Amino acid sequence: MKRTIVTLKSLATIIMILSAGAQPKPPQFSPPALITSAGQNAEVQMVAVLAKRAGLDHNLNKLATAEDLSGQRTLILVLGASLKGLGAAGLDISKEMNRVQGLVEAARQKNIPVLCLHLGGEERRGAQSDEFIKAFLPAARMAIVVKSGNKDGLFTRLCQEHSIVLVEVEKTVEALEPLKKAFALS
Amino acid sequence: MSLATPPPVDRHQPYEYIGQKAMVVAAHPLAVEAGLKILKAGGNAVDAAVATAGALNAAEPFASGIGGGGFMIIYLAQSRKVTVINFREKAPNKAYPSMFTEKGEEAETWRTTKGLAVGVPGALAGWDLALKRYGTKSLAEVLGPAMAIAADGYPVSETFSSINKEEYEKILANAGENTVYLNHGLPYEPGEHWRNPELAQTLSLIAQKGIGVFYRGELAEKIVRAVQEKGGLMTLEDLANYKAVEVEPLHGQYRGADIFTIPPPGSGLHLLQLLNIAANWPLAQWGRTSALYLHHLTEAMRLVFADRETYLGDPDFVQIPVAKLLSTASAQHKAAMIKPDQILSAYWPENPEGEKDLGNTTHLCVVDEQGNAVALTQSINHFFGSGIIPEGTGFILNNHMDDFAPGDSGPNCPGPGRRPASSMAPLLMFQEGKLSLVLGSPGGTRIFPSLAEIIINIVDFGLSLDEAIEAPRFFSYSQAGKVRPLSLEPRFPAEIIKELESRGHKISLREAYDKYFGGAQGIMTDYKKKLLLGGADSRRDGFGQGY
Repeated sequence: MKRTIVTLKSLATIIMILSAGAQPKPPQFSPPALITSAGQNAEVQMVAVLAKRAGLDHNLNKLATAEDLSGQRTLILVLGASLKGLGAAGLDISKEMNRVQGLVEAARQKNIPVLCLHLGGEERRGAQSDEFIKAFLPAARMAIVVKSGNKDGLFTRLCQEHSIVLVEVEKTVEALEPLKKAFALS
Repeated sequence: MSLATPPPVDRHQPYEYIGQKAMVVAAHPLAVEAGLKILKAGGNAVDAAVATAGALNAAEPFASGIGGGGFMIIYLAQSRKVTVINFREKAPNKAYPSMFTEKGEEAETWRTTKGLAVGVPGALAGWDLALKRYGTKSLAEVLGPAMAIAADGYPVSETFSSINKEEYEKILANAGENTVYLNHGLPYEPGEHWRNPELAQTLSLIAQKGIGVFYRGELAEKIVRAVQEKGGLMTLEDLANYKAVEVEPLHGQYRGADIFTIPPPGSGLHLLQLLNIAANWPLAQWGRTSALYLHHLTEAMRLVFADRETYLGDPDFVQIPVAKLLSTASAQHKAAMIKPDQILSAYWPENPEGEKDLGNTTHLCVVDEQGNAVALTQSINHFFGSGIIPEGTGFILNNHMDDFAPGDSGPNCPGPGRRPASSMAPLLMFQEGKLSLVLGSPGGTRIFPSLAEIIINIVDFGLSLDEAIEAPRFFSYSQAGKVRPLSLEPRFPAEIIKELESRGHKISLREAYDKYFGGAQGIMTDYKKKLLLGGADSRRDGFGQGY
């Protein structure tokens, strides 16, 4: 099995840790990107701010459905459940799962690649968040994750199982550089 | 000199702060330091409480500050007087009952993150009134430590960071990427240094010119401009007319102890109701983690919430049958209604008023060398309030208009000059005529149930103060007569949770130490050992210190 973990130690340094097999080339994504959350978390807004800073042509839509993929070339999913966010959106876990499922399935059919981010760290884990992570991370080609959210190795394991490039960052702001690289933005 | 071993590495392990003469307990170490500084400089408990409250604006700015309001209950040892300062926010004079309902599907947004969400702030007026009547120092003197904290800053805690992240969207929308409450447009991470020079400047201006600059001067203009730009109704007249008031406390008893707390629109009334009902049961015999205890108190909470829906509002505008609700007959009737083996089918259907996950606040306690005491709860409502910050001031305006009922009628509907109902219930407890406990908590609608649980943990189950605070919490309520889920910290034994489910409770498991249940702070007096014992809640960044 191909196994690749990319760890961002600082803004400037990326250390590739290869344990077995050939290294897959980190995937390249193309703009414009549709940004939505899987779980109505607060981090989706942070990803939109990072995308703006990266100069990435994007659309933020917290309630995006399959139709919103029209004209988009990448789907960015921000993983993690927020009961507060779900409540504010008038959704429950099941409705949100269905919404994202429909979106991911439409992306697959249209050959639109998925990039997942998990920026909430340890606090954005737990049974409900993990439900979204386990359901939708396998659809991604690449995942950018704040390290404290991967203390138990869930992201590492899922990324290994599904040959997904995993980039770990120490904190939210450090997700900017791998995001830029993923879209070949300087 | 420290009187105790250092706090344990595991913040959740029960730990009592110890003092011999005086003590301050609050939601941040720097705020505690501010209160102690004033006490050691000769100030009394009221001076120290206001210093601590002001410091919290800088040290825990997401929970309270001069953009909000609250209540304090004061004990004056020499005269044995207990009194209450009500500095709850008021609705602007242009408020009207349908101001939110007419917004339709956008009502929730208008109640929480738009200009209509902002009530006329009362904190400064309340602090000033307390100091003038019962303090020994000026507002300028006691605001000194707060100014220093705001100017110098401090490393952001995990609590601050997680709340900053959770409320990011609101902050970004209302305060923008360049606000001091974001780090270059993103939330602060734990350990990053946070400063608020704008707040330091604002507090300095207030120290120089008095609270008039806030209620009638340049700060008033900035507040009104910020609120109106976001669609609010507040005017300069609203601020100029705001007055904090001194009111009589409510008195009740629990198993021989006298409890003084705040009257409506606070929820001291409902705290006393809950304890009155609990007094009918042999709780010590049942046990703290027994399904029987959890079931009965949960059902009592639901019955009390039905009363709260029906009666609680601003007593200046509505009649509240306080004596009837606090009567022994009422408590006995409610206790008798509760079935030991199943939940009730209805809890007195009343006007709907939903419980929210968001209400947040802060609490502090002070006991001074003369035995005076203050329990002060203050808030800007939700974490980071409305997210609206008057330009260049560094303080956050409350969203306490959201504490009015959702409908456009009933005792707690919005109206000109009305104070919204509050869940706050700071309290003082006396045993054999001596002050035994100073206590309070933030936590929205969980406040008075959490306080009742802490008192029961101490009185019935014999826990120490901090054991009582750290013990697992539970909460439920009723809405329009219907049962709502029972929220639990999952530290209760699994078999007890199963037993509760078998009685008909729908269980909602929260985090092990969940901020949802508040962040209680307390000081207990041990007269035999001549010690003050402080308990500070690890669900937030609670801290205490005595000397």
